[in-house]
Amino acid sequence: MIRIVCVIGIVVILCSVSGCAKKQEQSQNTLRSDVAVNVQPVEKLDEAGLKKLITERKGKLLFVNVWATWCAPCVEEFPDLVKLAQHYNGENVEVIAISADFPDEIDSKILPFLKKQQVPFKTYVGQFENQDSFINSLNIKWNGALPATFIYDAEGKQRFFTIGKSNFDRFKNEIEKVRGKT
Amino acid sequence: MLKKITGIFMFLGLLALPLFAGDEPKKAEDFTLEDYNGVKHSLSDYKDSKAIVLMFIATQCPVSNAYNTRMVEFYKDYSKKNVAVIGINSNKQESVEEIKDHSKTHGFEFTVLKDWNNIIADKFEASFTPEIYVLNSKFEVLYHGRIDDSSRENNVKSKDLRAAVDNILAGKPVVVASTKAFGCTIKRVE
Repeated sequence: MIRIVCVIGIVVILCSVSGCAKKQEQSQNTLRSDVAVNVQPVEKLDEAGLKKLITERKGKLLFVNVWATWCAPCVEEFPDLVKLAQHYNGENVEVIAISADFPDEIDSKILPFLKKQQVPFKTYVGQFENQDSFINSLNIKWNGALPATFIYDAEGKQRFFTIGKSNFDRFKNEIEKVRGKT
Repeated sequence: MLKKITGIFMFLGLLALPLFAGDEPKKAEDFTLEDYNGVKHSLSDYKDSKAIVLMFIATQCPVSNAYNTRMVEFYKDYSKKNVAVIGINSNKQESVEEIKDHSKTHGFEFTVLKDWNNIIADKFEASFTPEIYVLNSKFEVLYHGRIDDSSRENNVKSKDLRAAVDNILAGKPVVVASTKAFGCTIKRVE
């Protein structure tokens, strides 16, 4: 009799442990799908919108990455941007990305990529009449090579600019330098 | 009084000097690179051309590849007008074999040179593909920038490279000497 009770006890314990594990798994799945759902809609951004983003800082530093789904180093760099946004979550640092894909590629290319990367920050797609003036409005020395990254201080003044693939440590270091200056 | 007027003119002249200096076109140095068959080509080989079009291109960049047909057409239209058209590949990860295959696949009749260690890209300060430099026979850079204003051919409104070369062939100043566009960064050696 004692043996039977012990066996039933063990079975109950095993079941409950397994149930907990299942619940935990379900919870993780729910979290993952929540994050995927929370990818923000991609907005079209013209030059006036870009200017507004840069100037209306509300006390926040602005980190801008210009990228495209067709740009291999941009795609390689993107997980570091996600990590950066997570690192500065809740702080006075706003991370945004501007895609140089075509505006009619939001659903076909941009959003699927953002969902795959589980991007928590706001992403725009450039919509402008003239590539020259859009590029020049970010930095006159930039000739359009992607990726390109810009950091603006809380007053909307550009403090950092680089082209080519970079990484979390370098971006964090540059943000901290700007924070020290502001 | 005469001294004062002369002084004012001299002062104005000094002010104008940097402007003229700044407007002078940059001059490219002669260089030699090998094509994908190992044949050496120097910039000076093309000194008798009416214009020299240097195109920094790539095999793997989707933007550069979007222009393959347009580059072929440009070569067909302008090589018969004594315009030299030369492709330069400075990407570290794109091999000579890959460049050869790519050129054949896309029907490039123009020469494509391999710029090992991106030495020529560094000299020109080229940073993306496709990036264009148009020189005259004195190797002065008269145009720098894009081929046209959209990687989607149907959206093109401004054929900037053709316009610049047409200006040069007509013996006129290049109206738009500098343009910009999104492109792939040239992958340089570390």
